[in-house]
Amino acid sequence: MITDTGKVDGAAFEELRSLAHRAVDAGRLEEAQSFIEQALAWAREHGTQQQVDHASCNRAALAIQLGRGEGELAALREILLRSGDPATNRLAAYHLSLHYEVVKNFKKSLFYARIARDRANVLGVPEWLASSHNQLGNALLGESLIDEASREYEQALELMPGERSVVRALVLNNLGYCRVLQRRSHEGYALLYEALSDLRKFRALRYQVLPHLDLCFAHLETGRYRLANRQGMLALRLAEETGQIDSIKNALYLLGEAANLSGDTETAREHFTRLHREFFPDQTYLPGFLLAVDVRKLVNLHA
Amino acid sequence: MSTASKVRQIQLVGQKIRQLRKEHKLTQVELSHRLGIQQSDLSRMEQGEYRVSLDTLFRILAEFKVGIGEFFEDVAKESITPRDVQLVQKFKDLPDHAQREVEDFIAFKQAQGRRESPDTDD
Repeated sequence: MITDTGKVDGAAFEELRSLAHRAVDAGRLEEAQSFIEQALAWAREHGTQQQVDHASCNRAALAIQLGRGEGELAALREILLRSGDPATNRLAAYHLSLHYEVVKNFKKSLFYARIARDRANVLGVPEWLASSHNQLGNALLGESLIDEASREYEQALELMPGERSVVRALVLNNLGYCRVLQRRSHEGYALLYEALSDLRKFRALRYQVLPHLDLCFAHLETGRYRLANRQGMLALRLAEETGQIDSIKNALYLLGEAANLSGDTETAREHFTRLHREFFPDQTYLPGFLLAVDVRKLVNLHA
Repeated sequence: MSTASKVRQIQLVGQKIRQLRKEHKLTQVELSHRLGIQQSDLSRMEQGEYRVSLDTLFRILAEFKVGIGEFFEDVAKESITPRDVQLVQKFKDLPDHAQREVEDFIAFKQAQGRRESPDTDD
């Protein structure tokens, strides 16, 4: 990229990565990908090996979010093994962990999250350490290790006091969900509503689905079915808008559960039937089963 | 549903998975392989300590090709669903004579059901 001074420099590289970062926060992943491809092309032509590696990790991160992470694994592992730079190592390990979280292999996710955290510890950059603790928390939560996950999220938040950002909002959301599972609902509500408020402030549309889903679940757990329905509907609409399949499934399940618990069997059947028809067409028993058995204690919305 | 009954329910689901696995003569390793999960996760699930995604939950249900009613018969027996609560509430709201009529009708339907399903061993 040519800067306004007409020179090709490292600032342009960082600017492209920053633009990509903002596009990701806003949920515009294809646009972000375009910025990262430009940054990578620049790095290959003018940059250092470290810049090439960082841009490659960024590209992998986007591919992971777009559900195409498998193709980036070899590159990430190669960077992790080759690079002697802890910052690059951390980035590669972090994104490997993220990939395995997305494909729900939480043990592998945990393995790489620990490497990322160890590298971040060496580097001592609070922001990187915080995101590593959050990633470790996600892997632990996927493994149903709720208390351990909570501690990682708490550590992440301690490293970002007062700061308001999309990343912090996501950590607040994760800890909020844990608090609801730990039956500390008041704390859970406070954390989830703060997360939602911050994500709205930053217009991070894609990520707002998460607190809406978790709030729906929290309201279900505390018997506020009307509010659960409201949060569930918001989650469903946003998940459909942003094409997040797992969130659509979770929203339909939670909406069905909310209707069922409030005694509206017909509406519950409609949601469960849609869940069966669109996502589990072979499992014809699903609507009847979900109407009869409350599976809230079996389901992990973050797994 | 009370917290205690919910906890009981998740334990029962775990026990039911273990029972069906054994009836199908599958080891934890074999079943976990079929489900695409780790053996240690299946073990925790059988002990009622592991929450899973909807995908995994429904994969488990699909794995045992028995009627879902049979699968969760024990769970359903121990569970009071919202519909059950609603029915009881409606029943209690009826006057005494109407409640007796409902009881008579239930007795009639039960007798009818027994007549329609004779013991096949005879």
